[in-house]
Amino acid sequence: MTHNEIQSLVFAALELTNQSREDDAQVPIASDTPLFGKQGHLDSMGLVALLIDIEDMLQDQDIHISLSDERAMSAANSPFKNVSTLVAHIDTLLKGE
Amino acid sequence: MHHILVTGASRGLGLSMVEHLLAQGNIVLGCSRGKSPFSHKNYHHFEADVSNEEQVNDLFIKIRKSFKYIDVLINNAGVARMNAFALTPFKNMRETIDVNYAGTFMCCQKAISLLRKSTNPRIINMSTVAVPMNLEGEAAYAASKSAVESLTRVLAKELSSFSITCNAIGPSPIATDLIRGVGEEKIARLVKQQAIPKMAQPEDVLNLIDFFVKPESHMITGQIIYLGGIS
Repeated sequence: MTHNEIQSLVFAALELTNQSREDDAQVPIASDTPLFGKQGHLDSMGLVALLIDIEDMLQDQDIHISLSDERAMSAANSPFKNVSTLVAHIDTLLKGE
Repeated sequence: MHHILVTGASRGLGLSMVEHLLAQGNIVLGCSRGKSPFSHKNYHHFEADVSNEEQVNDLFIKIRKSFKYIDVLINNAGVARMNAFALTPFKNMRETIDVNYAGTFMCCQKAISLLRKSTNPRIINMSTVAVPMNLEGEAAYAASKSAVESLTRVLAKELSSFSITCNAIGPSPIATDLIRGVGEEKIARLVKQQAIPKMAQPEDVLNLIDFFVKPESHMITGQIIYLGGIS
């Protein structure tokens, strides 16, 4: 998958997330959107739901990776800090697959 | 009709669960390390060792492909080796923890995305009265199931936003393969300590499964229910 394809997939997952959120709690669909941690739009369970949606979408394409990471809850270097770090994280995992 | 996954499905209590759930008209998916002697049009068996991460991954990939979702996960796979603490080989302790705790942990984790697609998603774990009774000779087994109880309570909180309930059943002694190696006298002594001093039957466990699965039980989560009046 190319970087752009991964980003599109993350955007699609965020759109799914937004479907179950109130109008005033929508997550902006952009590469610099903070996801988790300081100023993040998602709480820990919101993040889990997003990651499961992404894993599901990847599985639909017969790609089986786990996005779990021991740095998940780290404020400094969580791969889930914002959309671009998440896209980079998925990219790294796919390359290592 | 539910899609229900039972681990440790090929014999003992797991097989009783499979037969019971099939009789209710469910589609039952079972797994065990080997083949199952059992066959039924609504039963689908998978060979997988729950303590092996790769095999658990493969199991859930196959289930997702064929069944799309599951309503209930019953983590029944377990091993029990009774031995004095001082004589328990490290390897046996490791295996007990790997199957009973790590296996339950991995299956719960992999099942989340399939359970989310259900309207009444349930996780049912298996514990034992050996936990509250702190039974001698069961250091590894009781500790592994104690970990399962903690996992159950934590998951009840973490998975509630997905409407997944997570509970555990703690059977008192039942005549299954799991306690085959325990002396009759020891079992009789254990049973005597119960509020209801009788051996349990597989039906007593099945009754609790029915209770947890009921849609009306959507407010019941993080609970460990022991048979026989042990607390």
